[in-house]
Amino acid sequence: MIIEIWTKKKYSANEETAFLGRLGRAGLKAGAARLSRLYRVDSALGRAEVEKLASGLLADPITENYSLVPGKTGFGGGWRVEVWLKDSVTDVVGESVKEAITGVLGKDPGAVRFGHAYYVACDSAVKLKHAVSKTLVNEIVNKFGIEKI
Amino acid sequence: MSPTLLNFTGLGEKELAELDAACGWSLNIPELKEVQRYFKKAGRQPARGELETIAQTWSEHCKHKTFSGPVSFLNGKKTRKYRNLFKETIVKATRTLNKKWCLSVFTDNAGIVEFGSGGKWGLAFKAETHNHPCAVEPYGGAETGVGGVIRDILGVGLGAKPVLNTDNFCFGRLDDKRELPRNSHPPERIMRGVVEGVRDYGNRIGIPTASGGIYFDDGYLLNPLVYVGCAGLIPTDKIEKKVHPGDRIVSIGGRTGRDGIHGATFSSANIDEETSASAVQIGHAVNEKKALDALMRARDQGLYNAVTDCGAGGFSSAIGELGSKTGARVRLERALLKDTRIEPWEIWVSESQERMILSVPKAKLKRLEAVLKSESCEYCVLGEFPGDGRLVVTHGKEKVVDLPMSFLHGGVPNFEKPAVRRKVRISSGPPAAHAGYGLILKELLAHPNVCSRHSVITQYDHEVQGGTAIKPLQGRYGDGPGDATVICPRAATLDQDDYAGFAVTHGFGPGVGKIDPYQMALHSVDEAVRNLLCVGAEVSRTAILDNFCAASPRDPEVMGDLVLAAEGCHDAAMAYGAPFISGKDSFYNQAKDADGREYPIPISLLISATAPVPDVRKALTMNFKEPGNALYLAGLSRRGMGGSVYNDMSFSGNNLVSPLDMKAAVKLYAALLKAMRAGCVAAAHDVSQGGLGVTLAEMAFAGGFGARLDLAGAAAEKGLTRLELLFGESPARLVLEVIKEKETEFLRLVKGLPVTEIGYVSEDPVLDAAFGPERLFCEDINALKDRWKRELL
Repeated sequence: MIIEIWTKKKYSANEETAFLGRLGRAGLKAGAARLSRLYRVDSALGRAEVEKLASGLLADPITENYSLVPGKTGFGGGWRVEVWLKDSVTDVVGESVKEAITGVLGKDPGAVRFGHAYYVACDSAVKLKHAVSKTLVNEIVNKFGIEKI
Repeated sequence: MSPTLLNFTGLGEKELAELDAACGWSLNIPELKEVQRYFKKAGRQPARGELETIAQTWSEHCKHKTFSGPVSFLNGKKTRKYRNLFKETIVKATRTLNKKWCLSVFTDNAGIVEFGSGGKWGLAFKAETHNHPCAVEPYGGAETGVGGVIRDILGVGLGAKPVLNTDNFCFGRLDDKRELPRNSHPPERIMRGVVEGVRDYGNRIGIPTASGGIYFDDGYLLNPLVYVGCAGLIPTDKIEKKVHPGDRIVSIGGRTGRDGIHGATFSSANIDEETSASAVQIGHAVNEKKALDALMRARDQGLYNAVTDCGAGGFSSAIGELGSKTGARVRLERALLKDTRIEPWEIWVSESQERMILSVPKAKLKRLEAVLKSESCEYCVLGEFPGDGRLVVTHGKEKVVDLPMSFLHGGVPNFEKPAVRRKVRISSGPPAAHAGYGLILKELLAHPNVCSRHSVITQYDHEVQGGTAIKPLQGRYGDGPGDATVICPRAATLDQDDYAGFAVTHGFGPGVGKIDPYQMALHSVDEAVRNLLCVGAEVSRTAILDNFCAASPRDPEVMGDLVLAAEGCHDAAMAYGAPFISGKDSFYNQAKDADGREYPIPISLLISATAPVPDVRKALTMNFKEPGNALYLAGLSRRGMGGSVYNDMSFSGNNLVSPLDMKAAVKLYAALLKAMRAGCVAAAHDVSQGGLGVTLAEMAFAGGFGARLDLAGAAAEKGLTRLELLFGESPARLVLEVIKEKETEFLRLVKGLPVTEIGYVSEDPVLDAAFGPERLFCEDINALKDRWKRELL
C-alpha cells in the first residue's frame, strides 16, 4: 500500500517554482510541476487504518492532500517520476515512520519505505530522464521510474 | 580463501599491486612488502581479515602517514629535512606554548580546553572532513560526516555532551558549464545534497548547526570539501579513560551492515571512474541520539572505563585503538547485524554508523544494560580486553585475525616524501580597477564567495538547546553575516545562573594558498582570531584546530604547499599564543576523469577556533547600532590584491599577497579587546572577503543605517591605491562602531596603534564614501543588500 501526500494548490507555488528552476538548470524547460511524498507500507492494514495513518499522522490537513492510490493528485498531462531509496539502503525516514505507525495503531506495520513523486509537464521524456538523473536521483542509492500520465 | 591469498607471502610486486587494487586496501608496495615480511617470519599465510585490519589501521585516515612521516623539503637551493612534519610544526607549537588551560591535546578523539570558571567543565572541540564520501553520495556523505564528528565528541574522555555543530564547505562554481566525467555530480547537486545531509542530521539529533562557511572555486569542481565540526561539554573529572584488563567490549548504537566497507582506505585513494559505491555510508540520527542519551547517563553513573567511536575502519579501528595496550578478544558472531549476508571480515571492518565501543567492568555490565534498554539503545557484548597485548578475532570457529598489537600499530613503514616549493610569478605593480568603485562594490557583494548564505543557514536549526546567544545571522533584520557564533551551553551545565559561553569561528583562504601557502596559514589563523575578537571573546585564550586538505602528496609541489602551510601554522600559533588542540588531514583530493586528466584541489586549510566569552550578555554583533556613532578602521591597510575576491572576479594585474605582521596584530587586538570590555564598542566586523567596502556595506544594511565616510585618514602602507584600500584583503583589519559618549576613552585605549576614524553612522540609508575631496561611491544600502542577498540554493 502506498500513501501519497502533496501540498494543496494554494500553498504549493514556492516549492513548484524552485523545482522547475532546478530542472531548468539541468537543461529541461518544464511548464508545470507537482511534488509529493510517498510512504510504502508493506503490511496488510485495513483501509480504515491506512486512512487514519494518512489523515492523522502523515498529512497536514490544513496544507496537504493525500491519496491511497498513487498518481491521483489531479496533475493533468505530462510525466510522473517516482524515486525511492534502493531496498539495500537504510531508510531513516521510513524507519521513523514505522515506529510512529506502531505507536498510532499499536501494531507493527512491517517495513515502511519513504520516497518522492514528481509530476512534470514537458515535451521530452529523454530530456526529463537526463534532468532527473542530474538533479533528483543518485543511482548509487536511488531507484526511479518515469511514466506517462 | 582465494588462491592469491593462500600464496600471499610468495607474491611479486606486480601481483601485490593487483591484489591491493582488487581488495581496495590503498596500501603501497613498501607497506605490502612489510606485511609479507611479517607473515613470512610468522611462517604462515594471512587471513583476509588480517590483511583488511592492517589496511584499515595503516590507512591515511587512521595513521596520517603523510603528515606524520619524514619529508625532504627543497626551498630554492636549501633543503630541510623533517622526521615528522606534524610533530615538528603543529604539535611543537602547542608543546612550546604549554597552556595550562589545555586539558587534553592530540591524544584523544578531540581536543579539550577549560570552560568557565571553577574548573568543573572542559570544552571539547573537533572538526573532520568527509570529502570523498560526499563526492560519491553528497547527502549520505554529509550526514555521516556530521554523525561521525558528533561521535568523536561522544568518544572523547568518557564522553562529552555535544552543544554545537559546525559546517564549512568548498564546491565548484555553481555556474560552471564544463562537461563533467560520467560518475561525478554537478556542483549544485553536491551542494544541495551536502546541505540537506548536514541539516537533517543536525536537526534530527537536536544539536544546533550554527557556525560555518561556503567557498566556491573551480578547484573543487570534482572534489568538494566538507568540513564538519562539533563542540561539547565534559566534566573535567571525566576526561581520563583507561581500559582495564578483563573489561568487556560492548558495542552500543547502530547495527552492523555492509555499508561503508573500505571507507578508511578510500580516503587514501584518488577518486576515479571506478570508485566503489560500497564506500557510501548511511546515517541514522535517531539511533545516534539514543546512543548519546544512554552514554551520558552511563557516564554519570560511572558504568564504563573507556569509550571510543566506531569511525573509519569500524570495529577494527575502534577496538584496535582501545585495546592497543591490553589486546582484545572479539567474537564477531555476537555482533548485531543489519544483514546476515555478510562475511566475518566485513563485520570487522564495516563502517556502519552510530556505533560506540565501551570498555565495561564485568561487575557493571548489568547496570549498563539496564540504562541501554531504558533508552531503547541496542547493544552487544563482543568480547573482552584480556591484557595479553594480542588481537584475536573469531567468528564461530573461524579465526578472522590473530595479530600482535605491536605490529598493527607500530609496524607501518615510513618513507621520506620529497617536497618542493611551488614557483609562482608575483606581479606587484599598481592594480587596475575594471569599473567604478560603486559598481565594483555591487559586483563583489553578489560574488558567490561574498553573497548571503541565508538560503543555507536558515535550513539549520541553530536555536535548539536554547544556548545560541550570538547567531550566525545578525542585525536588525536577523540577516547580517556574523563573524562568530557564541554559545552559552546551559543545556550541558544545567546552571541557569551562569552566563559563561564560548565563541566559535573559522579562517579559510585557499585563494591566498595558491600564491603563498605560508601566508595562507597566517591569514587563516589571523582571520579566525579576529572573528573571535569581533564578538568580544577572550582572544588570549584562543584554541585552534587545523584541518588540511590537499591533492595527492605524491606530487612534490603538493607536499611543498603542505610544508609551508604547516610552518605557517606553527609560526601563527606561537605569535598569537593560540595552541592547536586537535586536527585532521585529508589527502588525495584529486579526481581523474575518463580521459585520465587529473583535477587536483588547491591546498586548503581550515582553521577552526574557539575562545571563552566570560559573559554572553556582553557579546557584540556586527551591525551598525546608532546614527552618530563614530566608525574606526583598526589595522594597517597594506598593498596587494593577491588571493582577493576582486582578483577572482576580474584580475587586477597584481597578485601580491599582503604579508601579515603578527606582532602588530596581537598588540592591536589586545587593546581593542580592552576597549570592548570597557563598553566603548557597539559593533565590530572583520575586513576579509571583498575587503573594506564589503565590510562597511554589510554593517550598514545589517543595521539599517548608512554611513558617511572619508577614508583619506586610514592607516595605510605607502603607495596604497584606492582599489587596494577598498577591495584589497590585507589581514589584521576590522571596522568598529564606537559609542559617541565613550569615544575619548576608546582613543585613550588605542593610543599609538593604527586605529583611525573613517566616518560615522548616518540615519540616511546611504553608504557615501570619499577619499578627501574625491568621492569614491555613494550607494543606497537597500540596493546593495539586494545584490548581496541572492539565493544560493
